[in-house]
Amino acid sequence: MRKGSITAALAAGIFGLSLVLGAGTAASETQKPKYGGSLEIGTVYVTLSALSFDPADWNWKLNHDTGNYLEQLFAADLTKSVKNGGSHRFYADGYLPSDAIRGELLESWEWKDNPLRVEMKVRKGVMFPEKPGVMKSRELVAEDIAYSFERLRNSPKRQGNYFHFVDKVEVKDTRTIVFYYNQYHAEWDYRFGWGYYSPIYAKEMVDAGASNWKNAVGTGPFQLSDFVQGNSNTYTKNPIYWGTEKIGGEDYKLPFVDKVVYRTIKDEATFITALRTAKLDILETIRWQNVDQLKKSAPQLQWSKWLNMSGTFMALRMDQDGPLKDLRVRRALNMAVNKQEIVSAYYNGNAELFAYPQHPDYTGYFEPLEAMPDSVKELFRYDPAKAKKLLAEAGYPNGFTLKTQVTTANPDHMDLLPLVAAYLEAVGVKLEIQPMEYAAFLSAMTTRTHAPAYFMNSGHVNPTRTIHKSFITGELWNPAGYSDPAYDKKMDEVFRTRDEAKRQAMLKELTREILDRAPYVWLPTPYIFTAWWPWVKNYNGELRAGAVRPGPIYARIWVDQELKKKMGY
Amino acid sequence: MAAIAQPVRRSRPVSPTVHFIGRLFREKPLGAIGGLVFLAFLLCGIFADFLAPHGMNQISPINRLKPPSWTFPFGTDNLGRDMLSRCIYGAQLSVIIGFCAAGLATLISVLLGILTGYLGGKFDLVTQRFVDAWQSFPDLIVLIVVVSVVGPGMLQIIFTLGLLLGIAGSRIIRSAVLSVRENMYVHAAQSIGASTPRILWHHILPNVLPPIIVLFTTRVGFVILIESALSFLGLGVPPPAPTWGGMLSGSGRAFMFHGPWLAMAPGLCLTIVVYATNMFGDALRDLFDPRMRGSR
Amino acid sequence: MQAYIVRRLLALIPTLFFASLIVFATVRLIPGSVIDLMLSQNDISADKFSRDQLIAALGLDKPMWEQYVHWISGILLHGDFGRSLWQSTPVSELLRARLPVTFQLGLMALIVALIVAIPIGAYSAMRQDTAGDYLGRSFSILMLAVPSFWMGTMVMVFPSIWWGWSPDVKFVPFHQDPLRNLGQMILPAIILGTSLSAVTMRLTRTMMLEVLRQDYIRTAWAKGLSERLIVSRHALRNALIPVVTLVGLQAPLLLGGSVIMEQIFVIPGMGLLLLDAVSQRDYPVITGVFLIVGVAVMVINLLVDLSYGLLDPKVRYR
Repeated sequence: MRKGSITAALAAGIFGLSLVLGAGTAASETQKPKYGGSLEIGTVYVTLSALSFDPADWNWKLNHDTGNYLEQLFAADLTKSVKNGGSHRFYADGYLPSDAIRGELLESWEWKDNPLRVEMKVRKGVMFPEKPGVMKSRELVAEDIAYSFERLRNSPKRQGNYFHFVDKVEVKDTRTIVFYYNQYHAEWDYRFGWGYYSPIYAKEMVDAGASNWKNAVGTGPFQLSDFVQGNSNTYTKNPIYWGTEKIGGEDYKLPFVDKVVYRTIKDEATFITALRTAKLDILETIRWQNVDQLKKSAPQLQWSKWLNMSGTFMALRMDQDGPLKDLRVRRALNMAVNKQEIVSAYYNGNAELFAYPQHPDYTGYFEPLEAMPDSVKELFRYDPAKAKKLLAEAGYPNGFTLKTQVTTANPDHMDLLPLVAAYLEAVGVKLEIQPMEYAAFLSAMTTRTHAPAYFMNSGHVNPTRTIHKSFITGELWNPAGYSDPAYDKKMDEVFRTRDEAKRQAMLKELTREILDRAPYVWLPTPYIFTAWWPWVKNYNGELRAGAVRPGPIYARIWVDQELKKKMGY
Repeated sequence: MAAIAQPVRRSRPVSPTVHFIGRLFREKPLGAIGGLVFLAFLLCGIFADFLAPHGMNQISPINRLKPPSWTFPFGTDNLGRDMLSRCIYGAQLSVIIGFCAAGLATLISVLLGILTGYLGGKFDLVTQRFVDAWQSFPDLIVLIVVVSVVGPGMLQIIFTLGLLLGIAGSRIIRSAVLSVRENMYVHAAQSIGASTPRILWHHILPNVLPPIIVLFTTRVGFVILIESALSFLGLGVPPPAPTWGGMLSGSGRAFMFHGPWLAMAPGLCLTIVVYATNMFGDALRDLFDPRMRGSR
Repeated sequence: MQAYIVRRLLALIPTLFFASLIVFATVRLIPGSVIDLMLSQNDISADKFSRDQLIAALGLDKPMWEQYVHWISGILLHGDFGRSLWQSTPVSELLRARLPVTFQLGLMALIVALIVAIPIGAYSAMRQDTAGDYLGRSFSILMLAVPSFWMGTMVMVFPSIWWGWSPDVKFVPFHQDPLRNLGQMILPAIILGTSLSAVTMRLTRTMMLEVLRQDYIRTAWAKGLSERLIVSRHALRNALIPVVTLVGLQAPLLLGGSVIMEQIFVIPGMGLLLLDAVSQRDYPVITGVFLIVGVAVMVINLLVDLSYGLLDPKVRYR
């Protein structure tokens, strides 16, 4: 496994170097922040407009659009970011390291036993601003938290038994709220705390109509002032925001900028061009193909690089009769694909061989390929001869035909799949590719009518989700149909374990097991780039401070308007 | 003027087709060149397997993004596939999609146009309202919805485009039929009791042939363009099928700076063929139409 | 004349009925239901109860014909096109915001098409088969042959590299800042318009050629009138009449062709609305857009036909 370790060493070296360089630039950046200006941002979801503004809609993208004005119980502790001397990058879309969580609307919280509960103290002085026609300005109280939770739990659009571990919620007084649990659940703070669906809002907003963006109001650093669907979201500064940030030893009231605008741009050439001509101050998602040109035509841009928060793979249906039921066949398919060449030739080096199911950013949960047992390492070694041997052993010396579905909505997949098909054809496995439009593609999976091979991406989210969503019996995002009651039980045990170190050990084992069982053809994960103009200060490419929630990050950015004018923009 | 008659030089009559082609080259040289390109395009499509030096989908990552050279006259794309071969196979796909869709459209137009034009009456009235309804919807918008219904694929696009264009084109055929219907020989045929199908086949159709031919030729170019527009929106014939539109809007745009040949090769092919088809169609229309015989 | 208008309006009714049926049926036939999309966007498995609840909440549990009647009666009686399944925004609000934008783009494109096509067409007719004729016609057809998305990409990308300039990505409505709005729309309008000019040019040329052969033109020549006078006073005016009809023919092309321009130049029009709605299976929005576009085209066609009657003294509607 020499080649792989060199790649890994190089990657680690580059990573370390970028850390040092990043720290270097950070050290030189202790200017005094100034107020004013605006931010035009092409976010990570630059092609997607807001799907919903109502938290009761159970929409995954909610926090991205509401997280500037709606706050949550917890948020990322951005003082622990790399640019502030810490070790966290805050790229992950649904994960916060346990040592980088701070109370946002909560001042403090405490676990107590008998009965199992968390007692939470609400922060003082958090104010809802006045919103004509919706509500008068008032302080946030514990009742608002209980209201938001109950409305979510009882929503007609709710999904699954998400809060099965919550017994009841009690408001003790205006600043104290207690969540009673019938069992410990490791995702307690993820599910309602800093997660996808847990912003806290006022009943007045619901009474006026929560799905209408014009009624949007919250305690956050910005307020939603305009929304043009498919085009832009505009957020303006909340003058009575409670938050402050310490920079260079001094306390500053947040936010710094007057306006934040999300630009929704469907076409890649257009948003790359917009960055190049500074019509965008920040562009959070840039594919490797565009990096060289951008660096040449806009050399002043600052860069960061992050590993995609989504694993790429070809799921192999194990729940149907056929060649894929045999473990040897699935392992053979993995060995038949030249994954190293995919990294070097297809992604031009801008990818990692091994980054799924656990993401390298999940410190403590992620084990690199070198630490894996040989049976796992083997799956990432290009060995078509061994693949053919295994196929012959399993009874398919001449290979077989495999019907494969892929979605046309992902241009990368449309190019990558033929490459994978070429590798597989060399060992006799012929892929019959059926491209499908996205909604039809997804429907096939939800109705369990999808093809034996299903080429897709699946978000990591966080260390527990990444295993649970894809490898537990009956889960929606389990296209391989993996079902092992013993595995399910082990996963359930993880949720009940309070000690994080123990959970990490258990998840490492579960990860090794699933890798070995090869329900998927594991494929490399590409790097994605973020770039911003030098007048964007106090920012180092951080992406999320909660589940898909960039709000707190944007609140801490300040714009050096003089520098911008000096540079001619 | 000499009173002596000159001997006739030609020994046998010239067929009308040859005469027509002669006129084409003499009077409309640009259109003639268009016609030649059109023919070359058709031949390329038919004999793609023989003409292409490499395979349609011969992936070879080592050779990726190579500029044009002797081995790869049009360069290679990001997966190392030969662009020349892919463009030739692209011609094949365009020929198939273009000719089939245009053919289907023309067939529908002719059937609908002749029937409604000749028969008239209630049938005509109702059909025209239906045609009105169809025509009110922009092609691309209908296609977007339909491709989502039936899924992406060559057959679906051929069928949908054929149907859409066919219904819309029936109007043109219908008006041609209306003008022919009142002709003397049609009345004569009717008075001796010739059956309707016979009249349609022997009298109406041959006289409506010119607009049919023009309609067909221009439709081919139009179909190729629409397929490229669909590819841009992600609804065209899906990769790895090497349609010109797909190559141009996909890897052509993504690798614009890494390799301009990825866009130029299919782009030029597309533009030249559509241009040629249009010039050829225009020339045909001019030659067929007595009104176009110049003003001086 | 009045009787004609009434007859045409009456004829619209069955057409509209057919159109609404076509629209409703096609949209409902789309596989991959919105329920699956909504439920699968999160990583939690939905049980059957949640699924049924969601279907009921969206009003999709009623039989198809009942949904159609509900939809049609809503439009006819209240002007209510329903609400978006994802956002609960009233569809009529979305349409009201988007239709003027697409309409404006289409109108500007049409004006560009006419500005380009009529001079070329007229010149082509007068100097038939000369080099000028070929040049003009070639230009027009070339604009047609280059795919609009490619032209758009070129216009977007290369100026930014050569001169550091790019078109605005911030859409400003016309009533807020007319100049800025026009500046943003002019580029896509030019691209769209020049590619449309080919068809217009062809028709102008044909009509001009026919008119130029007319007797009264010969008389004008014989009288010794200047070419310019003949063209502007006699030929052009008569030749333009069918060109007006062309406006009606172009209407669907304009409304449809703008999808690509809207995507590249970040213009929030009907095309993008439809594209998003289709990928999200937002049925009320899709049917709303479809129907409005269809009705808009029908209305434009009616107006064109009526103006045709007004322009051409020979045409009188009985």
